Amino acid sequence: MVAQNIFFGIIAFVMVVAALRVVTTKNIVHAALYLVIVLAGVAAQFILTGAEFVGVTQILVYIGAVVVLFLFGIMLTRARIGREVEVDNEKRWLAGLVALVLFAVMSFALVDAFEDSRIESVSGGTPQLTSEVSDAIFKDYLIPFEAASFLLLAALIGAIVVARRE
Amino acid sequence: MWLNQFLILGALLFCIGVYGVLARRNGVMVLMSIELILNSVNINLVAFGAFNGTPVGQVFALFVIAVAAAEVGVGLAIVLLIYRNRTSIDLDAADLLKG
Amino acid sequence: MSLLASLAAQAAQPVTPVTSVLVETPSVDWWGLLPLILLAAPAMVLLHASSLLRRVFRGFYATASVGIAGTAAAFAIVQWFRVTDLDGGRGPYTTVASAYTVDGYSVFITVVLCVAVIVSSLVADGYLRREGLDGAETYALLLLSASGGVVMASANDLIVLFLGLEVLSIPVYVLAASHLRRSASQEAGFKYFILGAFASAFFLYGIALVYGATGSTNLGTIRQTLQDDPFVDGGALLLAGAAFLLVGFGFKVAAVPFHAWTPDVYQGAPSPVVSYMASGVKAAGFAGLVRVFDVTLAGQVRDWQPIVVGLAVLTLLGGSVLAVAQTDVKRMLAYSSISHAGFLLVGVAVASPEGAAAVLFYLAAYGLMIGGTFAVVTAVAGPGEQATGIDAFRGLGRRQPMLALGFTVLLFAQTGVPLTSGFFAKFGVIKAAVDGGWYWLAAVAMLSAVVGAFVYLRLVVAMFMVEDIDPHHGDGDVVAATPAPVAMPAALTLALAATVVATLVVGFLPGLLTDLAGDAVPVVLATLP
Repeated sequence: MVAQNIFFGIIAFVMVVAALRVVTTKNIVHAALYLVIVLAGVAAQFILTGAEFVGVTQILVYIGAVVVLFLFGIMLTRARIGREVEVDNEKRWLAGLVALVLFAVMSFALVDAFEDSRIESVSGGTPQLTSEVSDAIFKDYLIPFEAASFLLLAALIGAIVVARRE
Repeated sequence: MWLNQFLILGALLFCIGVYGVLARRNGVMVLMSIELILNSVNINLVAFGAFNGTPVGQVFALFVIAVAAAEVGVGLAIVLLIYRNRTSIDLDAADLLKG
Repeated sequence: MSLLASLAAQAAQPVTPVTSVLVETPSVDWWGLLPLILLAAPAMVLLHASSLLRRVFRGFYATASVGIAGTAAAFAIVQWFRVTDLDGGRGPYTTVASAYTVDGYSVFITVVLCVAVIVSSLVADGYLRREGLDGAETYALLLLSASGGVVMASANDLIVLFLGLEVLSIPVYVLAASHLRRSASQEAGFKYFILGAFASAFFLYGIALVYGATGSTNLGTIRQTLQDDPFVDGGALLLAGAAFLLVGFGFKVAAVPFHAWTPDVYQGAPSPVVSYMASGVKAAGFAGLVRVFDVTLAGQVRDWQPIVVGLAVLTLLGGSVLAVAQTDVKRMLAYSSISHAGFLLVGVAVASPEGAAAVLFYLAAYGLMIGGTFAVVTAVAGPGEQATGIDAFRGLGRRQPMLALGFTVLLFAQTGVPLTSGFFAKFGVIKAAVDGGWYWLAAVAMLSAVVGAFVYLRLVVAMFMVEDIDPHHGDGDVVAATPAPVAMPAALTLALAATVVATLVVGFLPGLLTDLAGDAVPVVLATLP
């Protein structure tokens, strides 16, 4: 238990620092690379909670595809690779204030709701097996599964419509 | 492990993402901030799923990952299209529509 | 045992070959899913056809799209009699592991969405050819988006609701950006995409919190949980989740203060797409809003009602006041669509069956009027949608009286003039507010209608009472004294005529639609044990 909490703490710290860099760095390529750290951290947290399949999917889809897409997007639009002067707008302080208030409200609601509930105490410490996840997808969540396939189809058609040359 | 340690981490990532969306001008950077928010949602979902002892959280997280990939694909396609016509992806410079 | 250790133990176990695994798939009521399938599957066939067929006759894709949406609507109407007739039919039910509801409400919205696709396709036909963008993709994306809207309206599970929302939205982001040569269109698409994605992220976070507070994503189960124990230990959490959901819906239906994208997107996006946004996307958004708030969270009404009422007031006043200041017709219609969203929010806020029925009536009536309105805007704006200023409408009454007359009927309907469908739409919402004891809210709605009337009347005055532009009176540029007549493609004329006739018929015989809307009760059904 202690080991897990230590792991959690280290990973969470790295994630938060990297996430802050994603939204503050002036270099767009650095932002994408910091994003990789956050995404990998999220995958590690999934594995800590016993959701290993989601963790692996996170790595494959997010780091393997989404970030690569980002990098391609950055390179194809020939954005400046070094520091850019104006990546933030003037409303930065207002944005920070909104984020802080939001965090205060949400952490109050979360602490109020779950106090010191432990994950293991309810589920008995057994992680959800991947087979249960797949069963759930093809039993209870068949409609969302089909909807997701149509979503990907729509995105595919859409991306081609928009990005093709005339 | 407490449930709340995951949830607070999620809330932190969420708020950082919201800050990023509001403070950034560059379209691609805003998109990255939105990815932060989606990941915070996934942390919440998986933690709630583990807490409730059902696979629902994980199933939902998988769908969210699929949706995020689809959104990024479409979004970057539109970014490319704009770039081809205007060579700028600055949201505030996109001001043909002001007024 | 620690999780890591158990994982390691799992990995160390010898792999036993599995010969066959039997997954019990849920029972699927294909008949109930038919309208959805009839929208989504032919959209793919249409795309294939476009790549296989070398030559097709002019307007083939629009005709196909209208046919597809019409067929889906026809099957939905057949279904209507099964689910609303409680004696002979089977009544509302859920299918596919209680994730998908088939009730009068979802069927009604399905028909509204199909009609929105039909009108937009008819308008798009001439538009796409004029702009040199003809092809099957626009229609396929419209149909896919409508199928997402149907999923959203029928969702009995938050996961389904979310995926429906995304299938609804992603094609519309693309459609908004689809004019490849107008940078205004691409910027509109990008703006819509960024704010839409932000809104979906909020929406998702809300779903996660609601799931955490109630332990389920199934709307029926959530409702049951909250009924059994109104003071769930996540009271604040549930409310925070509901608030995030409301932000997400607010963006989709363009409620103030989440409306910032609307004028820019409406102005920049191709008019036929805007027509679909205002009729179809709005209808699906409100369908989800009503099902989640009015039905699922009915027990928490005292908690969320003040917030929705506040949104409604802001939206009503903000929309109509800002519309007055606009000189561009598309921006003006954007703000006026915001104020219409305010009326719809009033129907949601009163949280009564009458309110839900009034919302349905309003969505059906408004979808028709705004479809016809954007048909006129598409025609008048001309190639490249250059002429969207109010000047473009000057003297239209003398040059093309029939067009101007049809447009006037649609504008009067949006104002809420009696003998048009718009009057009964507004009347139904206000009556629901009064019946619920919300007198001041009803008064605000009427005030907004009065302010909004000015906007529409200004257009009517421009068409009929202002002289043609005097070449010496322009600000520097010499404008042609008599502008070229507005080209009216046949399909667009058909769309305009149909929407005008429907607006008038519903205006004279409102009972036709009010009875239907009243029968379309939204339900959420708990999971069967």
